[in-house]
Amino acid sequence: MFTRIYAQIAGDYVNLAATIIGLLAIVAGAAYILSNPRLFLLGLKNLRRNLLRTTLTSAAIGVLAFVITMIWTIIYFIDLIQVERSKDFKIIVTYKWSVPSQIPMTHADYLNPSSPKFLPELVDANGKKLYGPNDFMTWSFYGGTTDPNKVAPDTLVFFFVMHPEQIIPMMDDLGDLDPKLVKAMQENPQACLLGADKLKSLNKRVGDRFKLTSVNYKGIDLEFEIVGALPDGRYNASAIMRMDYFNNAFDLYKRNNNREHTLAHKRLNLIWIRVGDRDMFDKIGGIVEESPQFAPFLVKVETASSLIGSFLEAYRMIIWAMKWVLVPGMLLIMSLVMANAISITVRERRSEMAVMKVLGYSPNQVFLLILGEAIFVGAIAGLLAAGATYAFFNLKWGGIPFRIGFFPVFRIPEAALMWGLAIGTITAFVGSALPAWTARSVKVSEVFSKVA
Amino acid sequence: MAAPILNLHNITKSFTRGGEEITVLRNLNLQVAEGEFLGIMGPSGSGKTTMLNLIAGLDKPNRGEVWIGGQCVSTMSESQLASWRTRSIGFIFQFYHLLPVLTAYENVELPLLLLPLSSAKRRQQVLNVLDLVGLTDRMHHRPGQLSGGQQQRVGIARAIVTDPTLIVADEPTGDLDARSAVEILNLMGELQKGLNKTILLVTHDPRAAERAQRIVHLEKGQLLESAEMEAAGLLNDGAGSNAIQASEPRTK
Repeated sequence: MFTRIYAQIAGDYVNLAATIIGLLAIVAGAAYILSNPRLFLLGLKNLRRNLLRTTLTSAAIGVLAFVITMIWTIIYFIDLIQVERSKDFKIIVTYKWSVPSQIPMTHADYLNPSSPKFLPELVDANGKKLYGPNDFMTWSFYGGTTDPNKVAPDTLVFFFVMHPEQIIPMMDDLGDLDPKLVKAMQENPQACLLGADKLKSLNKRVGDRFKLTSVNYKGIDLEFEIVGALPDGRYNASAIMRMDYFNNAFDLYKRNNNREHTLAHKRLNLIWIRVGDRDMFDKIGGIVEESPQFAPFLVKVETASSLIGSFLEAYRMIIWAMKWVLVPGMLLIMSLVMANAISITVRERRSEMAVMKVLGYSPNQVFLLILGEAIFVGAIAGLLAAGATYAFFNLKWGGIPFRIGFFPVFRIPEAALMWGLAIGTITAFVGSALPAWTARSVKVSEVFSKVA
Repeated sequence: MAAPILNLHNITKSFTRGGEEITVLRNLNLQVAEGEFLGIMGPSGSGKTTMLNLIAGLDKPNRGEVWIGGQCVSTMSESQLASWRTRSIGFIFQFYHLLPVLTAYENVELPLLLLPLSSAKRRQQVLNVLDLVGLTDRMHHRPGQLSGGQQQRVGIARAIVTDPTLIVADEPTGDLDARSAVEILNLMGELQKGLNKTILLVTHDPRAAERAQRIVHLEKGQLLESAEMEAAGLLNDGAGSNAIQASEPRTK
């Protein structure tokens, strides 16, 4: 858990900034409370004096922080999967001229380090292969329905077809998968893993069996046994099955029908090769693209991030608007809500500020008192809203159930707690700075001349 | 006269209102000895509050100097003034100006939070002054739960809790009924006599002014002693009871 939080903070500038701001707010708040406990209590009492206003302001900040947490979770996730990670840099080989990509299964052998057909260009002068077997995997996609008369989301299952031993080393976010599940997959050809949403929509549990009528490989109908569930999160609506079971089904089809399936040589969709860095990507990518073995098929080599980027192109404008219009707009609204509430309280309490100055409080102390009240409300409301959003969505649905293409759910990262704290703090600061400055600048003689 | 604890030297203060400059105080001079109870009278708009604001460092003169306890107040920065006010000035307001969210105890404690005192010492000082003003049994009440006279007692306790050099009272009985006003004036008299406090009392009320050892009148931006007023025919009796009627509006 702590490793994951550290990775979220260190790997994203927004998370890092939010954490710094959040920690600064906590440290500054603690220092203020410890050094001026009575003044802090005065601030709390001031907030309590108009409980309805404080509650409504907190609620407004909380609702906006809740919405921003949801929006930013989606933006964060999409940014994350489009970033080319230096530690997990992958080449994706696809067929250039068709969507989905369809490559002959035999062509994977040219890139498979375990295959005797492995391209000699991918071996260096010392006889060492440029990547190992654990850095290579093939992908196929198999979809089917449990009810051929009702092809609907709740009867459809969409499988990632792969070798079980490749799940942990190669699949994103499945590095922590229980090895027992991989073993269960290896022991049973019909084994499959399903995401939580799929289990629910099929009304199945681990141990149950089901049959599928294929929707993308007509005539390749398969039976499965559920041996485990995929972890909560991005795979909630997904499923994983064995590559050899899939391949054998085509052999069986040929035996039963005395002819090959029409898609028998087009059933490999993707090839993944993990490489060390960009230089190795360019080197291996160049070899693959220029290899005469692949020339007739015109394969395309790209990174995972660029592939996902192409896929997300259709959502580009909406994601841009969410990031640069909706979120800033909501932050502005939060600041205005706070500015309005604090302006009213300062106007109501002008004579009190004047009295405090008469008693010896410096303008800066008056400024800090007002600022502290605003930031206290903003930070607490933001933190609670983000915490509630995190707990509610992650516990109930494994994340925000907002489907974009292959991504059915967006798990709210732990760093979101810091987003809430930071945006609450920042918007409260921005919104209350001017009213607090007005309080700081109250001219005692003018206030009392008006009172008298 | 003992060494002056307050010295106003050639003070001039003017304001600009609607493009017109109004001179409220003109070359004003005043000396107040330590432990003296000074009454300041004058008609509305004569500049009494302006003078108090200058003395308390809440405003600055256009010309002249304000010296209190050997320090020149009129040249201090705002932060210096804030710190100086905590220790040197106790302010009693006509409308009490207590913080409504705080109890009597907490209101009195407020200026002490600025001083480097232990919480035990702070508590002791607050209880002492609340005892002095006779409000120990009401110390956990909020201002809204106290009568006007009691609120003003809290105001007085707050003004004296830091043991200031000077206590400045601006119409402290102006919002009170006759009985409460007498109680407050008695209390101020006790403070002056018992604790040897220097008190400046601004008032319209001749009966309040009678409690002072010396009365000065603010007229046309300048101060006149009662005797001078009498000589000028501005007072009908020695106590200055008709001074209000005799006064003129603000000078220009």
